[in-house]
Amino acid sequence: MATFLLRRFAQAALLLVIVSMIGFAILHLAPGGPLSQYAVDGNMTQADLDRLAEQLGLNRPLPIQYAEWFFRMLQGDWGLSYRDQQPVLHIILSHLGATLELMLTATVLAMILGVWVGTLGAVRRYSLFDSLATIGAMVALSIPTFWFGLVIIYVFSVGLDWLPSGNRYTIGDGSFLNRIHHLIGPSLVLALVSTAVWSRYMRSSMLDVINQDYIRTARAKGVSERNILFRHAMRNALLPMITIAGVQIPTLLSGALVTETVFTWPGMGRLFLDSISYRDYPVVMGILMFSAVLVLLGSLLADILYSVADPRISRQG
Amino acid sequence: MSHDKTMQPKSGKFDLGAIGRRDMLGLGLGFGLTTMAASTFGFPAWAQTDAAATPPSKPTGVVVVGLSQEPVSFHPLMPGVEVDEIIWTNIFSSLWVAQPDGSLKPDLAIEVPSVENGGIAEGGLLWTVRLRDDVTWHDGKPFTAEDVKYSLELINQEGFRSRTRVGHSLLGEITVVGPHEISWRMTEAFSPYLALLANTHMVPRHLLEGEADQNSTAFGGQPVGTGPFKWDTRTPGDNITLAANETYHGDGPYLDQAVLKYVPDMTSLYAQFQTGQVDMVIISGIPQNFYAEAKNLPDREVFIAPSGNIELVMPNLDHPALREKPVRQALYYAMNKQVIIDAIYYGVPTVTESFSPRESWAYNPNLPAHVYDPEKANALLDEAGWVRGDGGMRSKDGVPLAFQISTTTGNQLREQVQQFLMQDWAAIGVALSINNMPAAVIWGDFYVRSQFESLLVGTSFRTGVDPDPAARFASTAIPLKGGSGGNYMQWQNAEADALMKEGQASFDQERRREIYHRLQEIVREELPILPIWQYAPVEGYKKGLVGFAPNINQRQNAWNMGSWFWGS
Amino acid sequence: MATIQAIPISRSFLEGAVVKRFLSHRLATFGLATILLLTLACIVGPWLLPFTDVYIDMMQRFAAPFSGWHVLGTDAMGRDTLARLLMAGRISLSIGFSAMVVSMIIGLCVGLIAGFYGGILGTVLMRFVDAMLCFPSIFLLLAISALISPSVPAIVLLIAMTSWMEVARVVEAQTRSLKTREFTLAAQSYGAGGFRLMLREILPNAVAPIVVAATLNVANAILAESYISFLGFGIQPPTPSWGNMLNSAQTYLTSAPWLAIVPGLAITLAVTSFNFLGDGLRDALDPRADQP
Repeated sequence: MATFLLRRFAQAALLLVIVSMIGFAILHLAPGGPLSQYAVDGNMTQADLDRLAEQLGLNRPLPIQYAEWFFRMLQGDWGLSYRDQQPVLHIILSHLGATLELMLTATVLAMILGVWVGTLGAVRRYSLFDSLATIGAMVALSIPTFWFGLVIIYVFSVGLDWLPSGNRYTIGDGSFLNRIHHLIGPSLVLALVSTAVWSRYMRSSMLDVINQDYIRTARAKGVSERNILFRHAMRNALLPMITIAGVQIPTLLSGALVTETVFTWPGMGRLFLDSISYRDYPVVMGILMFSAVLVLLGSLLADILYSVADPRISRQG
Repeated sequence: MSHDKTMQPKSGKFDLGAIGRRDMLGLGLGFGLTTMAASTFGFPAWAQTDAAATPPSKPTGVVVVGLSQEPVSFHPLMPGVEVDEIIWTNIFSSLWVAQPDGSLKPDLAIEVPSVENGGIAEGGLLWTVRLRDDVTWHDGKPFTAEDVKYSLELINQEGFRSRTRVGHSLLGEITVVGPHEISWRMTEAFSPYLALLANTHMVPRHLLEGEADQNSTAFGGQPVGTGPFKWDTRTPGDNITLAANETYHGDGPYLDQAVLKYVPDMTSLYAQFQTGQVDMVIISGIPQNFYAEAKNLPDREVFIAPSGNIELVMPNLDHPALREKPVRQALYYAMNKQVIIDAIYYGVPTVTESFSPRESWAYNPNLPAHVYDPEKANALLDEAGWVRGDGGMRSKDGVPLAFQISTTTGNQLREQVQQFLMQDWAAIGVALSINNMPAAVIWGDFYVRSQFESLLVGTSFRTGVDPDPAARFASTAIPLKGGSGGNYMQWQNAEADALMKEGQASFDQERRREIYHRLQEIVREELPILPIWQYAPVEGYKKGLVGFAPNINQRQNAWNMGSWFWGS
Repeated sequence: MATIQAIPISRSFLEGAVVKRFLSHRLATFGLATILLLTLACIVGPWLLPFTDVYIDMMQRFAAPFSGWHVLGTDAMGRDTLARLLMAGRISLSIGFSAMVVSMIIGLCVGLIAGFYGGILGTVLMRFVDAMLCFPSIFLLLAISALISPSVPAIVLLIAMTSWMEVARVVEAQTRSLKTREFTLAAQSYGAGGFRLMLREILPNAVAPIVVAATLNVANAILAESYISFLGFGIQPPTPSWGNMLNSAQTYLTSAPWLAIVPGLAITLAVTSFNFLGDGLRDALDPRADQP
């Protein structure tokens, strides 16, 4: 186990270096820069802008800028935002809570719904329910998330006035109920895709298990269908699902970005969009690295959990 | 747009304080109150309806200000944009403050220096300012002349990322005469400096002096000032809460808290204004397509705020076709400005012919009015030798009459204007194409190194409150030709240059008025910019809020939150 | 989306039985039919309409659907929504298709080279693939979109650059297993070069998963275009695309909801069809893979 972990960590570290190079190159080769927002503002002159570019070191060769960024990163210094001069890690962490809240709620929702739909679909294979679930999952995977969000807002906020059209809570009312009320819309939207994925995987995993010998044996022994389903089949079918939670992280992060935009949710996605449009390089790099770490951790965790849960799985890279 | 309601400052609130009107005019600052009375906006009668209301004796209540951009830059001497100035103007104080009528009201200073009161001497080279002695920083420490000296020197400090050094770079020796008196020498007379100081906020020496890196300080994340509000909390990406400063040296504050709420999307922001989640929408304002609907909202005041920005088409005069005056004139004739305003902008803004805002004392009301006349445009182009070829598009000596127009991606109304211009100009044989880019790209080198062919842009041509447009029109202000300034269209005109030079050095307002009137005539004739209208952001607030005072001389209308309170 | 099973199939497989199985997959047939219909409508439709997609008529703004000649109403500039929808379909479908082609080319090249040569080159290439997969796709799309000015070819490239990695992975795995198979080794013994081996022996045998991946890639590319446009980095006016129609409809969601509903439905329909098609193809080409 130890060597397996070591190997995985070494691989992950190497990947992060490559990730950082790709990210840095993409960002800094892009035209425009962090000072553009001031140029149109009219309150500053060209001389001021030139001076600021010099002071921020934006004119230096790219490899030098990268090397400096890289060695600082090695020492745990994520740099300072160009916009508000705050430490990047601090900025990311202060936006992380909102995103995690959304992602976790959506994941729980998707798991419950997905497992239920998937199990039922497998048990009643080829029934009307199963067919509808299949079609439903495919459609869910095909709907543009943001459009679904707009429709939800149009129906439930504008039309029925049941849900708030955005924000994490009402200013001056941070109560639990108020937060839950605000969470419903965005988490439903974010859960849509995940639910589809979970239900499809659950269905096929369940089908695998149901056809296994020990289930047949149990059935032959006269164990009730209910018991078979929940005691034996479900438990074993859920096992491979563990990996999915980890692998779903990039999809969830992408979805969160879009959902946050539609529901004006103050999370990392919003921060990323703003930072990209203002070319706040240190923050964008920070978020890219942070999400890459999350993604790698997710898949690593999935592997470890899986190998712990099922010792038959060989531990190969 | 209706102009039935006259903007009327609340009596007593905006008196000129220690300086008389004559002093101001003598300095060439501010526009007369007579001009003011004539200027009309679609303002609500906010002054009259709440005239009876009196402020509470103790700070009470909360106001939630809705913004579509997040304030992030809190150090008032570092780079920032409009929304950041809400923080600066309410947490910090400047020596004097530009009022809606264009006058300067002393804040940290006891009076605004002038030639008459001896504050400005030696032909504008020696300035002396006396300061109030009852001002304290939010942490309780007294404010003194040392803070002013420190702030002004910090701006010019090597390595410090100050926002702008315009005017400040002319500072010579700064002397602390006494704890509450300061004087400085200027290397040359520069009348707009008075206006620039109105937007220069003082920072505390005792908190900053010890910092190793002035660009990254604890202060930058938790600003401490002398203004009516203190820094309270910030939830990044969502809101900033300011709390009343009960030891404020001026009137107010009357509100217990002011919350700056960030809602990134203008449509969502408007929705939250409708449902009352935010009490007001300012700066980017309410999208014009909601103006009619918003005006009828119960318990909301929705109005067109004043703004000094002009919406225009900016041609690059280096372009082989656009460099010709008849081409620019033809384009102007063939532009159906009224339809753009009435249909795309729902009739909210009004047309303008000038680069100067209507409210300015320097505004020339007698410029020739634009007429939509495609016939005339065709005639001008025919005469100039642009002949129609295949598909009806014109060219001359192998140069096609074709160019691109650019603006920020995602600005839907501007995109509509572009598409409308395409159709309008195609009718006179001009092939327009659209090349839009994200903000960070377009306002980078593309803009400041004049790489565009033409732009659809909203910008101002003033120096702070002062009408001096030299930074935008002078031939020495073309960055591409080694200049420092914002003459990105690369306009060069000898007469205009001479006029602007004279205007900068003059302290005589009458003379300056003549100069700027003539300059507007030249610009209208030469069309280095094709003006469309003066900005008219739609803003709104919840009824009952007293003291809200739109101010064309500030860059945001929450500049005086210290004077706000909730009436009954 | 589900990962594509990398199981080789023999050539004989690609006959009768496959078509039969595909046709028995009702949803896939439905998908194929819808795609053909949509494509046909987008090609022919604009010629049949009395309006062009760019003609501005300010007097006819925001006409509601089924009022007068504008079957699907008009937009903020009085342009016919149906004409724009069909023209936008041309753009969006061609973006989806072209992006798929480009991403398949990149993915195939990387996958073939990495799988065939292996060694350091293979490792480097595959680590690069892994690194690219560490970015959540939208983050990567947005970061790269900062690089380019948004024209149709640029958007195609942008989408392709963010969607070739899965293909590369599949092809690499296929190649690695195929290169040790008898027919490859046999060809090698006749003196066939690396390039020839890859093109003549390995590629045709890996065709099944590639076709499936390609279909699903079109679906994803159409979705990606709508995301970029929605976030304001997409195709610029006056060119309509389903994504930018949706983007400009946002402001008018309460007053003219059809402007948002119509292109949203079009995207969903097109993407669902391609997904069904891909699903059906997978089942048809590889009966052993009972993947979701």
